[in-house]
Amino acid sequence: MILIENIWKQFSGKQVHRGISFDVREKETLVVLGKSGGGKSVLLKMVIGLIKPDAGRILVDGKNVVEMTYPELRALRFKFGFLFQGAALFDSMTVGENIALSLRRHADFAHGEIRDRIDYALHIVGLDNVQHVMPSSLSGGMKKRVGLARSIALTPRYMLYDEPTTGLDVATADGINLLINELRSSLGVTSIVVTHDIHSAFVVGDRFAVLEKGETLMTGTREEIQNSDNEEVRKYINSSISPSESGHA
Amino acid sequence: MTTQSTGYAFPFFSTIGRRGEAFFTHLGKYCSLMWWMVKNLSNAREYSGNIAQQMVLIGNNSMLIVVFVATFVGMVTSVQSAYQLYAWIPRTVVGSLVIKSVLLELTPLLTALVLAGKVGATITAELGSMRVSEQVDALEALAFDSISFLITPRILAGIIMFPILVVFGDVMAVLGGLFGAVTISHISAAAFISGMKSSFEVWDGVFGIIKATFFGFTITSIACYQGYFVEGGSEGVGKATMGTVVLTCLAVVVMDFVLASILL
Ligand SMILES: Nc1ncnc2c1ncn2[C@@H]1O[C@H](COP(=O)(O)OP(=O)(O)OP(=O)(O)O)[C@@H](O)[C@H]1O
Ligand SMILES: [Mg+2]
Repeated sequence: MILIENIWKQFSGKQVHRGISFDVREKETLVVLGKSGGGKSVLLKMVIGLIKPDAGRILVDGKNVVEMTYPELRALRFKFGFLFQGAALFDSMTVGENIALSLRRHADFAHGEIRDRIDYALHIVGLDNVQHVMPSSLSGGMKKRVGLARSIALTPRYMLYDEPTTGLDVATADGINLLINELRSSLGVTSIVVTHDIHSAFVVGDRFAVLEKGETLMTGTREEIQNSDNEEVRKYINSSISPSESGHA
Repeated sequence: MTTQSTGYAFPFFSTIGRRGEAFFTHLGKYCSLMWWMVKNLSNAREYSGNIAQQMVLIGNNSMLIVVFVATFVGMVTSVQSAYQLYAWIPRTVVGSLVIKSVLLELTPLLTALVLAGKVGATITAELGSMRVSEQVDALEALAFDSISFLITPRILAGIIMFPILVVFGDVMAVLGGLFGAVTISHISAAAFISGMKSSFEVWDGVFGIIKATFFGFTITSIACYQGYFVEGGSEGVGKATMGTVVLTCLAVVVMDFVLASILL
């Protein structure tokens, strides 16, 4: 259960968030929709304490992330998987080492077990035989999938996805959407998904939060936001639904 | 406008004021970074795995250039000392001059200045690009302490490797001095060596090594600070890297003077 309450944040005079609030219920996938530059990535980083809001509270399992000490934050992050918008792979390490890093540090796996877990994590994102490749020689979409494999390797309870399907072809994107749903249904993962891909949003989302001008314009289920009489919300959904944009953005 | 809003009467003072403010802001951030590192030194698990790798990197990248520079510095010290001597001064003095100046000053200082560019710039560029491509965030997200993981091993490797490089440099500089004396200045090897022996003191070498340790810390810590807090994309990384080269050189010469004043 994640509760985001009245978040304010500015960067050097530029007000990004003006009181964002929404909640993510246990074992559901909440999709965050909003314009580019609207502070969605920053919001995800706030959830695990990488960025501090100027005001507001973020409760995870009832504890306020904003006031956590560093050891508490580390314990919290241990429960989270984070897929970064740009994948953020460690470019001095091979793909396998990227995934092995946290497996070695945070768990007591035998050597062979780590290798199996790497293989498995890569396999479920649709990549095989890339363990020994350096990230710099992967395509953007492949990097994204390695980033996803890295973030699920330790079977987190919470997942934060920053544009999981951006830059992927339709078939691969569908695979990722299925994976997100699979993680929720089989492992009971609670997720926040930031996306511009409205098709993907409707496949994975249980509920939706629409951000506009630093505020939460509306939260609700697919029906609720599609039937909303708020001009802005409908404009967002309709413009995004056009075929030219789905799949890219 | 700025002059009024910051309360300074003249633009000149306002500039100094802002520079000074920025300097102390940076100094404060630098100190808290170092304090964090020291405070977490007991969690060796966080950084021990990376120290050896960083030591090898510094050693591999720098040994050749340090040896090269030191050899030539030794040769030129020898030749120029011989040139400056009046005819009635015994030639053995050249050996004494070379060993003193090389151990006390030349090898540690020049090694540090060369490495300020090489090691310092590399560290800043590396950490800076990790910062702007969100790799530092990714480490934190994976529940790693990014400071202990990235910065501590680099600084420790610097503290360990710089003295070692300086010892190598010392040896090469003395050999270079001997070579220069014999081939260019026509001083016999025996005379050079006896001069060297007559004025050699262990403390001189130790002093040079102490300096190297401080230089190693100064260069790597400034470089880490510059890289870890990079802002503004790859352009920011370039600026920070330039800044590291300038800052570390300045810090090294100032520290050189301070250490000499205190320890000699
Ligand atoms: N560390 C930072 N320092 C200064 N400004 C920042 C920082 N991080 C983000 N910003 C600013 O905050 C705003 C929101 O950024 P953010 O990356 O969260 O947008 P976004 O909604 O994820 O956009 P996109 O859909 O394009 O990814 C941007 O204007 C950005 O420049
Ligand atoms: Mg973003």
